[in-house]
Formats: sequence, C-alpha cells, structure tokens
Amino acid sequence: MNCKNILVAFDGSENSLRAIDYVGSVIRGDPSFKVCLLHVERLPDRDLFPDEDSWLKSCKSQEHAMRKALEEGRETLLVKGVPGEAVDARYVVSCRSPFHDRPQCSMGTSVAMDILRIQKEGDFGAVVIGRRGVSKQEEFLFGSVSMKIVHHARDCAVWVVE
Amino acid sequence: MSAQASSLIRRYCPDFPVNHCGELFTDTSQFMRIGYGDVIVLDDLHYLVIRDEAERRFGLEDPKYWVKRCRVLETGERKILKLVFHETFPMKIGQMEVRCFRSPQKESRILNLVRGDMRFMQGFTVPDVKKNPVRVLDIIHGKRLDVLVEDMECGHEEYFFTHFPNILEKYIGACEAIAFLHGNYEKHGDIRRDHLFVEYDTKNYRWIDFDYTFDFHENPFGLDLFGLGNILVFLAGKGSHTVQSIPSLGLPAAALDAITPDDCSIMFGNRVYNLKKLFPYVPDGLNNALMRFSAGSSVYYDSVEELLAELRPVSEELSRGA
Repeated sequence: MNCKNILVAFDGSENSLRAIDYVGSVIRGDPSFKVCLLHVERLPDRDLFPDEDSWLKSCKSQEHAMRKALEEGRETLLVKGVPGEAVDARYVVSCRSPFHDRPQCSMGTSVAMDILRIQKEGDFGAVVIGRRGVSKQEEFLFGSVSMKIVHHARDCAVWVVE
Repeated sequence: MSAQASSLIRRYCPDFPVNHCGELFTDTSQFMRIGYGDVIVLDDLHYLVIRDEAERRFGLEDPKYWVKRCRVLETGERKILKLVFHETFPMKIGQMEVRCFRSPQKESRILNLVRGDMRFMQGFTVPDVKKNPVRVLDIIHGKRLDVLVEDMECGHEEYFFTHFPNILEKYIGACEAIAFLHGNYEKHGDIRRDHLFVEYDTKNYRWIDFDYTFDFHENPFGLDLFGLGNILVFLAGKGSHTVQSIPSLGLPAAALDAITPDDCSIMFGNRVYNLKKLFPYVPDGLNNALMRFSAGSSVYYDSVEELLAELRPVSEELSRGA
C-alpha cells in the first residue's frame, strides 16, 4: 500500500468537510502526498416519488449540488497549501443514474463497501472519513458508513475524524 | 345508481341487492368515492366492490380505503384491488422515527419478480384509464402465523420441543424468501407479524404487502432484518414477553431479577430478547441469534444470509431432538 496516497470520503456533510480540513492540515507543505476526494453518489430512491419527472428533477439537482460541493472541497485543500496536481476529485455515479451509463458505478447497497473497493483498486494507504456519531439504535437500523469501514478495512489505515 | 352497473350486477350476480348497486368506475384516482356496490372496470373485467379492507391493530379496526375486496363479475373470483395511494408518514420504532413511503410501483415490480413463487402473495398490475397502476391480488386463504402460534393451547416447553422445530424450519424458508428479494435489490418494507400468513391447505408461509418503502442509504435492508428478528423472537417465545408480563409466566422471582437492559430489544427497551433467561432449554445457537437484536449486542447482522447461517444449524439440532 502507498502510505502517501490518501482517499477522503466525501458526502457534502459538515463531518466530511472536517475530514478534508484535517487532511489539509496534516499534509500541507509536503508535495509527496496525493489526495483523492471521493463521492459515491446516493440518488434518492425512485419509489419515493410519485412520477418520473419529479424524481429526475431531484436527481439532477442533487448531482449538481454534490459536484459543486466536491469542487469546493478541492478548493479547501488548495487554500490549505496542498498543490493542485496532488488533488483529485472523483464522483462515482450510481448504477441507477438516469443520466450516466458508466462501467464503474455504485449499486447503492453499501457506500462503505464502495469506498473500500476503490481504496483497494487505487492502492490508497489511508481512508479518511468524518463521523457524525450515531446511537446504537441508529447504527443498528440505518447503518454507519464509518463503522462499517472501520470493521471491514484491510491493508490500510483508517482515519475517523470527529 | 348507474344503469350500466346495475345491469352488469343483475346479469352476473343476481343475488346482489339491487338497491345497493352503485356506479361504474374506470378512473380509480378518487378511491374514497368508491365503495360497496360500485363496479371497477379494468382491462375488460368488472370488479364488484364488496368492502374496504381493514387492518386490526391494537384492538382497533383501521380501514384501508384504497384496498377493495371485490368479486370479478365475469368469473365469480374474489380478488383484492389495491388502488394508488401515495402516502408519506412517520413510523415510530422505539424512540426513533423512520420516514416511510407507500409506493405502488414498488409493489407492482415485486409482484412481477415473485410471480409463481408461492412464498409471496400473488397478483398482477393493471392500469386504469388514468394509468393508475391498480394491483389485482389473489386472496390468501389462511391465518396469520402469529395468531396460530398464540392460539396453541400448550405451555412454552411443550410448544418449543413439539411445534417450534417445524415452525422454525418453515420460518427459515420465509427468511430465504426475503433474502431472495434483497438479492434482487428489493426490500419487503413492512415485515411485521401480521404480514406473514400460513395458507390453510398447503401450510405454506406467505408474505403479503410490499408497497412500503424507506430510504436507508447505508443499510437498505436494515428495517427488513429488524422485522425478521422481531418475528423470530415472537415465534421462539410463543408470544412477546415484556419485563412487565414476565410475572404472569409463573417463573421464579430470580428469573425476573436476572433480566438486565442488555437482555431486551435494541429498539424496545421492555421486550425481553434473551429468552434463555426465561426458558433455560432454549439452545445457545438460537439465543445467540436472538441476542443480535438486543441492546447488549455490539455486532449486528448485515444481511439475511448471516441470520440464516446461524439459524440453519439450530433448526437441524431442534429437528433431531423433536
């Protein structure tokens, strides 16, 4: 594994912004590090909408907002002093996306497992993720991306930023 | 009263009281207006509405105005029509609130997926003239599994060693049915005790009602798993046992004293899931599976397959002993 290759999971939340901020503070001034900001698309469930049009509209505005947030996350790293060529921003589309048809996509059953798959494929030495802190009940019912990453990560370090 | 409707009813169903003949509906959007004696026209068949379906919960009758019990005039068959009702509502689970949605298209998709698979209710979808996807469902002639279990007139020990091995074996089949849905990226959405029926003639366990959905991103099948766990505890315990109801079991006071918060459901703090403390003959393997749904657990099932992997050896063990 490449210890200087860092994968930061990003979902647009304050917790993930804190994770970016933390990574920027740690690696700034060292040009040997590379950072990939990763967003795994989680589209709203089509079944929650009464018709196709309202779902498409929601998907489109969500994708637009998330790509913008991802770019802002990249800017945060640049402002911290991380060189532009060291920062990559990656948006993995949902396999159910009505707008894209890509060979690599997320099935939407587990964002955590998607992140770990990309960590392995990209030889990332560290996965960084923000944590909002959930109750036992919430973890049981809704699941927790950070907890699942901690449980399932192999051959890499996991930084959980609170 | 519509002359067309009454003429059809008189022709196919002469015993039906003429003064109750209603209207003919080709558009089902306004389902509250459709009631007893009305006729719904779908794909050239005529469905005479007998009544609205209702759910009995907490001793109260809860009418479901969008679900009509019907008779097909041309064939005499009984069917249930589920009309389109987009509903969003909060579901309370313990202290937590989950946003639920009613999705006709989800149910239609699952009905297509499980066609011919008798572990599930059967039916098909027909659009009305306004393209509302109306689900035409077969009626399951059977009884709720939980009611069957509760009605058995025997004590827990006799139930556990005589009846439960067979019930568990069949319940594993019902869990496999849910795993099949998940394998196809579908969730049941509303796994509750009253949604699992035992058919009278075949004794098959059959799931009903697939139109609920919810949006859990990281754990899309979490609510289904929770439901399966609840039913399992109910079946193993021959009913629900709460901290308050334990004294009625006639157990020694020490048994009640031994119950801690960790022994109870992770979502419902008064429901005892550590059944071994109530019934010491419950095998460890089964109790371990139950405890995965308890407040004391720190590791939860990620999939139905994980639950099944623990239940299958228990079932074999109990069957050998039965």
